[in-house]
This record gives sequence, structure tokens and C-alpha cells, in this order.
Amino acid sequence: MPRTRRYKITVGNAGKTIPCTSDQTILVAAITAGIDYPYACATGNCATCISRLEAGMVDLLPHGDGALSRKQEDAGLTLACRARPRSDVKIAWL
Amino acid sequence: MNDTSPIAQRRKAACTAFLQRVREVHGSGPMTASSLSKIKGLLLDLAARRELFPDADFALPDAQGRSHMLDDAANDGYGLYLTVNLPGKEAAPHDHGIWCLNAGLSGLEEQRFWRRTDDGKKQGFATIEQIDEAIVKEGTAISMLDHDIHSTLVVGTAPSRCLALYGYALNRFPEVLFFHPQFSSVRACASKRGPGRLQAAQA
Repeated sequence: MPRTRRYKITVGNAGKTIPCTSDQTILVAAITAGIDYPYACATGNCATCISRLEAGMVDLLPHGDGALSRKQEDAGLTLACRARPRSDVKIAWL
Repeated sequence: MNDTSPIAQRRKAACTAFLQRVREVHGSGPMTASSLSKIKGLLLDLAARRELFPDADFALPDAQGRSHMLDDAANDGYGLYLTVNLPGKEAAPHDHGIWCLNAGLSGLEEQRFWRRTDDGKKQGFATIEQIDEAIVKEGTAISMLDHDIHSTLVVGTAPSRCLALYGYALNRFPEVLFFHPQFSSVRACASKRGPGRLQAAQA
């Protein structure tokens, strides 16, 4: 069982840096911290939480092709509802 | 998806005939539980014709979920799809705002059914409780009326392949409400048909 790690997530739109564990999505960490992050399905289907990953690394939980294409991912976009940090992260919703 | 093979031509004919039968059963009014039950039988019959839906004709998703359009009826008609979702792919509890049916071709999709327990008066707030569950697999189907709430999760190790029929095509979908028990929240995916229920409530 991998050890849970703790990272810092800076949400540019909110001007806040919040804690997030490696088994937590950035969206959940943001809502828990009181940030009004845009979301709807929160399960990788609708892309309401699509965001620009400005720095850092994330792992993505399963999501639909229509929510985030490989091209978008290659261009630095991510889904906050599916993204779990693998380093400190800077992110901003679109 | 290969659209020119003999199997694709037979599939197209079968889907067209299926949708004609759906229109006959549905009629012109709102969908009823009785009509939906009959249509569920028709969808199961279509799904039983497994030779029409070979895996090779329906690519796996680039990520973990994809809907292949089988028939998008003109004039704002129904939407018929073959969905391919990989293990772990999920959808939070949601109300499509339109009736739908799902019949299994292969794999296992866990379906949970929910009921809203708050009065809907507080903006963005909702509580729900689970009332039932089912596994959609080959030979089984589920149906939901306009505002039924369900969540999905692909379980097991194989992709889940299902036939899905909606009252509207996905590109003409009404507002979909998503419920999040961990936050006691409800959020809307914007309608593709004009202002939705949450937007109207805010006006």
C-alpha cells in the first residue's frame, strides 16, 4: 500500500494555497478548503472543472473522452475532479 | 466505427427498425412506466443480437469512456448509442431530465438508484439516499423515467459495453443535475436546450 503524501495546491483564480493528499482529488481538496471551484459531475464526464495545470504533476482517475481529450491533456489541461497530485501543483480553472 | 461492412448495414437497419418500434410504443405524449417497460424489452431484444455489435467495430475509448452513436434520429428524436467504459469509470448520482434505458452487451456496470430527500428549496443544496441497485450485464437492462436518479460504476476487469437509449440525443440533452452526497450539493450541467431548472430558479 503506497504511503499517502501531502502536497500544496495553489489555485490561481482563488489566490489560495491549500493542502491536498495524494489520494484526494484537487476538486475535493478545494471544496473542502472553501474554494468555490466550478464543478458539476465531479466524475470526469462534463468538463465543468476543466483547468490549466500551470505547474506540477497529477494522476488522472478514469474519465470520459468527451470531458478531456488526449490533445487537451497534452496542451496542459486537466480535470480537477479527476486529478490527484503527485507533486506540489499550480492550477487555475478556465 | 466501420459503417460500410455488411454487418454495419444490418446493424443500421436493425437500429432503424428498433427506433420505429420505440416511436410506436411511445406515441406522442410523455413517456410512461408502462411504455418504458415495453421499450426495455425491445432494447433487450436488440442487445441479444450480439453479432450486430462486434467489439472490433467499436473502438475502446482514448481515456476510459466513449459513446458511439448508433442512430441520432432527426427532428429532435431519440439518441441510441453503444457505450464503452473501462473498469473504474464512474458517474456521480445524476438526473438526466429525460428518460433513458441501458442494456448490457458485455462487462459489468454497477447501477445505484437514489431518491432526493431534501425539499429542493435551498440553492445548490441536496441530500439523497440510495434506494436500489443493480448490475447491468449481458441479458439485463435498466430503465429510468425523466427525473429518476442513478449513479454508475464499471466493475470487474473487462470493459463494459452497453446499448443506451435516451429520450433525446446527447447533443440535444436537457440540463443534467449531479448530486454529491459528500458535500450535500447539487450542480447542473448546462442544458443544450435552453435555460435549465437551476438557472430558472436563479432568475
